[in-house]
Amino acid sequence: MTGPVLVLGEIAGDRVVPPTLEAIGVARSLADSPAHVVVLLAGARARVAAEALTGAVGGAVRVREDPTFDGAPVAAFAAVAAATADLVGARWIVVGGTTFGRDVTGRLAARWNALAANGVTEATRDGDALRVRRPVFGGRATETLRLAGEHAVVSLRPHAFPPAAGTAGAALIEAAPPVEIPPTLLAPRRTAVEPVATGRGPGLTDASIVVSGGRGLRAPENFRLVEELAESLGAAVGASRAVTDAGWRPASLQVGQTGRAVSPQLYFAVGISGAIQHLVGMVSSRVIVAINSDGSAPIFKVADYGIVGDLFQIVPALTAEVRRVRGA
Amino acid sequence: MEIVVCVRPVPEAETRLRVRADGRALDPDGVKFVLAGYDESAVEQALLLKESVPGSRVHAVALGPAPRTEEVLRAAIALGADAATWVDAGPGVLDDPIATARALAEAIRGVPHDLVLCGKQSGDREAGLVGPALGELLGIPDFGSVVDLRFDPAAGRLTFRRSTEAGQERWETPLPCLIGLQQAWNDPRTAKLPAILRSRKAPIAKTAAAPGATPTAVGERFELPAPRAGAKMIEFSSPQDAAEKLVRLLREEAKVFP
Repeated sequence: MTGPVLVLGEIAGDRVVPPTLEAIGVARSLADSPAHVVVLLAGARARVAAEALTGAVGGAVRVREDPTFDGAPVAAFAAVAAATADLVGARWIVVGGTTFGRDVTGRLAARWNALAANGVTEATRDGDALRVRRPVFGGRATETLRLAGEHAVVSLRPHAFPPAAGTAGAALIEAAPPVEIPPTLLAPRRTAVEPVATGRGPGLTDASIVVSGGRGLRAPENFRLVEELAESLGAAVGASRAVTDAGWRPASLQVGQTGRAVSPQLYFAVGISGAIQHLVGMVSSRVIVAINSDGSAPIFKVADYGIVGDLFQIVPALTAEVRRVRGA
Repeated sequence: MEIVVCVRPVPEAETRLRVRADGRALDPDGVKFVLAGYDESAVEQALLLKESVPGSRVHAVALGPAPRTEEVLRAAIALGADAATWVDAGPGVLDDPIATARALAEAIRGVPHDLVLCGKQSGDREAGLVGPALGELLGIPDFGSVVDLRFDPAAGRLTFRRSTEAGQERWETPLPCLIGLQQAWNDPRTAKLPAILRSRKAPIAKTAAAPGATPTAVGERFELPAPRAGAKMIEFSSPQDAAEKLVRLLREEAKVFP
């Protein structure tokens, strides 16, 4: 008996974001019963998002319907989260794998002097404790932690868990406890959000498929081969450092030690030799495909499938095949 | 502006990782610890702010055992930090992010701090907990994944961009606050030899971490992945043949094709 598991939700538009659904799925697997999952939502559209969510949650959705929380620091949300956990008697807190999730985890852990872990890929019960596994050192190693104590707080690694599916009940929608937020925590404001500059596709760290291009493309205009393959797959576009350093594509697309770390279901490395600086940013992807003209390139050591050949012929053929198979 | 930047010694990127004999942690034997990754960006950002806001000072703070902790502080001084504090703590505190944050918070409370900078996560355990926990303990807001920031002295406000799942967010905040750096897109500076030599004699304030009341995180296992077998190489007669074979494998064998 662990009491309810509390999920801290995040809203975009009128719905919770996909990482929140992943967190709800994990909470359902940890809770004693579906009725022991509680979700907290805050923001102007909290109630609307809660109504869309009730079937996936067996316990309750607690809402703080308050525009103050849209574009407020995570510190403000953490104060409501702590009060909600106290109110419903939740010892375990689960959050999706986002910037918000990582930040709120640390704040709550400090508040409770509790054990916590970000970016977990497994979470299981071990009696009264929570056991989690998470990649460290850029995916070059894995650690297993046992989180015992009064509270445990975890955020998930993006895409490591399936989103909650099916019906778990019909959650009650109730008000979150009225917590007064100190003005110092509300003074900072988000003034604008510019969508990620990855074109039309999903964001790099969100995507379940990433197609990255490297120096093997030889010229900036050839990078469209990578973009077309990505588009056919509904994938995000990434790049090696050579490409972003040369200014072919913006630095925000860089995958690697000095760029972003990604862990999609499927990663394509096109014309990328596989320097360690790139590998640490993508080696924890589930399935890796490498396409390169040099069969001795290190990328083939970490890849699951390799094609040694002329990418200028292979990639367009692959794009055409993907379009054919997907009926587009 | 009084800027505090927290840094942590982490193994060099090229380090060959080995598991400690008890299987619970990295074997630190023979590992070279350096100032690297997001922490390097945090120091760079601290120095850029110092240069743009006259009268600013940068104070580097690090927690950990000798000699690696002292070395990363000297590296920060060589880059341009004005002062350094070493919180002497053993592996018990170092391996527990919340205990680390408690000890750092105690050290930071004792020095002027308008702005606290950290890497958004360390280059080793990548816990990403110390920054937000430190914000909570100091009672100030924190923001992770920040890519650049500017200070407007007239308004006394910090503006910054952060890179999140939603896109590039722009924020505005009064001080004090805590910022977790994603990375500087421009390469961080490197220290010049005279500065490195001077840093060896620079004073470093030393404090001992008070024993925390925190439960220590129990690392049960630290594992290296089984070496990948290497790619299954696809033999093909034409580009079309290669494409068809790959799609079939992704679909039927790997089961990842959308």
